[in-house]
Amino acid sequence: MAAVSSILVASRWGARRERFRHRLRILLVIAGSEFKLKYAGSVFGYAWSVAKPLALFTVLYLVFARIFKLGAISDYYAVSLLTGIVLFGFFADATSLGMTSLVARESLLRKLVFPSIVIPMAATITAGLTFLVNAVVVAGFVAWEGVAPRLDWLLLIPLLVELYAFTLGVALVLSALFVRFRDLGQVWELGTQLLFYATPIIYPIGFLPPFARDLVFLNPFTQVLQDIRALVLYPDLPANTITASEAFETFGRLVPITIAGATFLVGLWLFRRDEPWFAERV
Amino acid sequence: MIDVSGVSKCFRLPHERRTTLKEHLLHPFDRTTYEVQQALDNVTFTVEEGEFFGIIGPNGSGKSTLLKILAGIYRQDRGTVRVRGRLSPFIELGVGFNPELSARDNVRINGTLLGLGKRELDERFDAIFEFAGLARFVDQKLKNFSSGMQVRLAYSIAIQVDFDVLLLDEVLAVGDADFQEKCFATFERLITDGKTIVLVTHDLPTISSYADRALVLDDGRPVLVGSPAEAIAAYRGSPPAVTRPVVDPVDDVVNRTPERSAS
Repeated sequence: MAAVSSILVASRWGARRERFRHRLRILLVIAGSEFKLKYAGSVFGYAWSVAKPLALFTVLYLVFARIFKLGAISDYYAVSLLTGIVLFGFFADATSLGMTSLVARESLLRKLVFPSIVIPMAATITAGLTFLVNAVVVAGFVAWEGVAPRLDWLLLIPLLVELYAFTLGVALVLSALFVRFRDLGQVWELGTQLLFYATPIIYPIGFLPPFARDLVFLNPFTQVLQDIRALVLYPDLPANTITASEAFETFGRLVPITIAGATFLVGLWLFRRDEPWFAERV
Repeated sequence: MIDVSGVSKCFRLPHERRTTLKEHLLHPFDRTTYEVQQALDNVTFTVEEGEFFGIIGPNGSGKSTLLKILAGIYRQDRGTVRVRGRLSPFIELGVGFNPELSARDNVRINGTLLGLGKRELDERFDAIFEFAGLARFVDQKLKNFSSGMQVRLAYSIAIQVDFDVLLLDEVLAVGDADFQEKCFATFERLITDGKTIVLVTHDLPTISSYADRALVLDDGRPVLVGSPAEAIAAYRGSPPAVTRPVVDPVDDVVNRTPERSAS
């Protein structure tokens, strides 16, 4: 057992607050440098973080809205699709960056004393910064569609908090396991691709048979995505705005929300459990 | 100040490193055989407040492992470590330096990692570059710095950090004569300020001119704790370490992903 104890001169609360501030500063400085590095040396810089989801959106829109005529089912197909792509982009980015983060930052782990949970958290925050840039584009689309903002859009905040907790939980699990199982990288690359099609991003959820619908609603990501679509694009076609509460009856949202919370707690627990050994295992 | 009692540490080094799921799935019962490395074996010593304490020994004798345990980076298998006072949070210089970023960004990142607040950094920013003698290169990318210049910058940040106990692993090897002199000057200031310093080094002259006492490690076992002269004699007299795999596995062994930050 670690018996390293530091006796601090300052009062307990002051010391605790200072330690928290120190961690927060480390978190932000790592996230910021990661974001900077991602586009360091590239000519168009941050523009890439917008260009990539837009390019994917354009291709999928052409294929599915024009060729497969999915665009005909709703006026909001395009913006609905873009919302899905941007939200999923955040999830995929944050989890895959988070997964490799401990190994990528191994020199910090072995030479510096600090809570290592900051490292995968910083990766999710880097992905969050990209998401914020993209969210502005989505907001532009929504405005262009002529949807007027409403007060209940404030509910977006708890929804995004839920998505973040779920994403961070997944990232913590993956980062702790990746230290020991390196080919998790391949597994997760495939996993995110499969998840992309297993969530109603391209197709309306109403196209799924009921049992499959219940199944995809076990994924908190689906619940958040559908809730956001229903909230923002309210007058959309019913098949597009089915939410978890319709799938699992009145308190249906509690199912995916519980799963999101549990994922977060499991991630935290697993990470804490393995933390003392990261420095010698990475 | 520092009280180390009966500390032991083993590393289990797998013979054939299995880090892929496939290998685990294909040979579930085929346990990897481990070679157990006794990196530290029952090490006990104390360091008094204000003391300059050296740790010497041949390569692979467990010096760095011991320092990492003192810092709390590794966890010992047995024994206790007690430290009173604020530990410096780093054991090497230039933690988190990134060659792709400018010196300005690197000072901000490294300084923050070492515990400097935003205001402290702003206040001491110029002093750091001044001391390093690199004021002209603030906006240069770090990859354009020579290794000596990088160490100078790293050292200049490190001395801005407040601590009671400084743990350092092999620092003063790089840097030109002028800068070495500056370093030793700050070393002396730290000593007169009553800071406790624990230094792992191969540089015996540093030990004989600065250390109050030193610990000699050989093959993970403490040989002796004594005056610099005694320690150096014991180190010189100890037979050369038998060739064996390096004790600290993460430092030298097997497939590592390319480093993203300079070490």
